[in-house]
Amino acid sequence: MKKLILSLFVFVFGYQLYGQTYNTFEPSKTQFMLRGYGHTGFEYMDSNDEAESKFLGLTYAPIFLYKHSDRLMFEAELEFKLEGNELEIGLEYADVMYVLNKNITVRAGKFLLPFGTFMERLHPAWINRLPNAPLGYGHDGIAPSSGIGVELRGAFDLGGPRLNYSIYSTNGPRLNDGSEEPEEAGILQFENFEDNNLAKAYGGRIGILPFSDSSAELGFSAYSTSGTGEEDSQYEDVGAFLFALDFSYVKPISPLKGIVDIKAQYNNSNVDTATFIEVHEDGDAEEYSFDNQSNSFYAQLSYRPTMVESDFMKKLEFVGRYSDFNAPEGAEWEEASVQYAFGLNYWLSWRSVIKLSYQTTETEGGHGADGITNTDGLFIHWAIGF
Amino acid sequence: MKSIHKITVTVASILVVLITIVACTSTKEVYTPVLEKEVADSDQEFKIEKSGAQLWGEVCNRCHIAPSPSDYNDTDWETISLHMRVRANLTEKESKKIEEFLKSAN
Repeated sequence: MKKLILSLFVFVFGYQLYGQTYNTFEPSKTQFMLRGYGHTGFEYMDSNDEAESKFLGLTYAPIFLYKHSDRLMFEAELEFKLEGNELEIGLEYADVMYVLNKNITVRAGKFLLPFGTFMERLHPAWINRLPNAPLGYGHDGIAPSSGIGVELRGAFDLGGPRLNYSIYSTNGPRLNDGSEEPEEAGILQFENFEDNNLAKAYGGRIGILPFSDSSAELGFSAYSTSGTGEEDSQYEDVGAFLFALDFSYVKPISPLKGIVDIKAQYNNSNVDTATFIEVHEDGDAEEYSFDNQSNSFYAQLSYRPTMVESDFMKKLEFVGRYSDFNAPEGAEWEEASVQYAFGLNYWLSWRSVIKLSYQTTETEGGHGADGITNTDGLFIHWAIGF
Repeated sequence: MKSIHKITVTVASILVVLITIVACTSTKEVYTPVLEKEVADSDQEFKIEKSGAQLWGEVCNRCHIAPSPSDYNDTDWETISLHMRVRANLTEKESKKIEEFLKSAN
C-alpha cells in the first residue's frame, strides 16, 4: 500500500513537473488581465484645536482588462473602501473600446472624463504624488470625474509635436435643487446614472504636446449641457458650462541631477442662476438665488534626484502643491479654501511608494460653517500599483 | 448659457466631422515596425526615428514612473499597451514602439 501511494505521488508530481517544464501552450489572442492598485496609511488631523487620528483601512481598486482582439477591449475598475465602519463599493468605470483606425478609438459605457488630466490620468494612489486630491476634486468637487455615454478619442503625430483629442456625450450632471439637501442647493452632481432629463452633456479635450520629447503638454477641456434639473421641474432648463486648462511638464534636467515634474490645472464651473428655497428654523420659507460660479486651481512641483550616485537618494521624491477652491457667494455651500501641501516620497519600486506629507488648509465658510477654519494634517500613506 | 451650449455643440460636431475626415484619409499609412535608429529620407533631410526605449522613458514618465519591462510577459504587455494607448491618448506609433521595446527587454 505504501509503495502504491508513493508510486501514485511520484507519477502525479512528475506529470505536473513535466507539464510545467515542457508545456507548449501558446498565448491566445483573447487576454484577461487583473491590474489595479491599493493604498493604506495613517492620518493625523488638527482642525481648530480638535484633533483626530486614524489608521486607514486598505483601499483596493482592481482593474479588469479583457482584450478581445488587437482592436477591441473591455476595461472596468472597482473600488473597495472602508468608510465610516462600512465597506463602500464603487464602479469607477466600465467601458468597451474599439480602435477604429490609427487616429480614432470609440469608447462607450461609464468612462473617466478627460476634463483636464487629474481625474483621468493622475488620481490613482500609486500615480498621485500626494496622499489626496487637490481642492476642487472628489466629493462636492466641481470637476466631473466620470460619465455614462459615448466618446471618440485619439491622437495625431504632427511630425514632432503631437495632438490628442477627445469628444464625448454623456448623461450629464444632475442639479441638486435643495429639496432633500437644502444646504447643497445648486451643486452639480455628476453621478447621474439614471438621466433625470432629456438634455445630454457634450464635452471634450484637446491636448497639444509641442515638443518632440513629449516633455510638455497643454490642454483645454470643455463640458456643456443645456439642462441639469429634473424633467418638468422649474430647474429643467438650468444649463451649465465648465472648462478646464491643464499643463504638464516632465523632463530630466542634468544640472539638477534629476527629473522635474510640474502639473497644473484650472477648473471653472458656471451654472445658470436659479431660485432655491431656504427653510428657516421657525418654518418660514425664503427664496434666494446666487451667481452660481465656482473655480479651483492646483499647481504641483515634484523632483526626483534620479541622476545622483546614492541609491537611497535616487528613490526619494520631493513634492510641493498649492491648491484653492472657491464656491459661489450666497450659496449655502459658499467657500473659499486655500491649501499648501508638502511631501517626501520613497519609491520602493516604479509602482510602490511610501508618502509622508504635511498639509495645511485654510477654509472660509463651507456648508453652513461660519468664519475661518484652519486644518493641519499629517499623512503617511503606502500605495502600490499592480 | 444657452448660446454657449449651442456653440459648444456646434464646435464639437465640426470637430467630429473634421477628425473623421482627417483620420479616414490617413488610414492608408499602415504602421510598420520601425527599426532602431531607422533613418528616413525625406526631401533630402534626414530624420532619426525615436527608439522604443527612448519613447518608453519619455512617454510613460508623463504620468507615472516608467515600468520595468521584466514585470510582465509579452502577452501582458500587449494588453497593457492597448489599454494605455487609449487611456493616455497615445499615437499608434508611440504605443507600438514602446510595446516592442518592452517585449524585447523583458
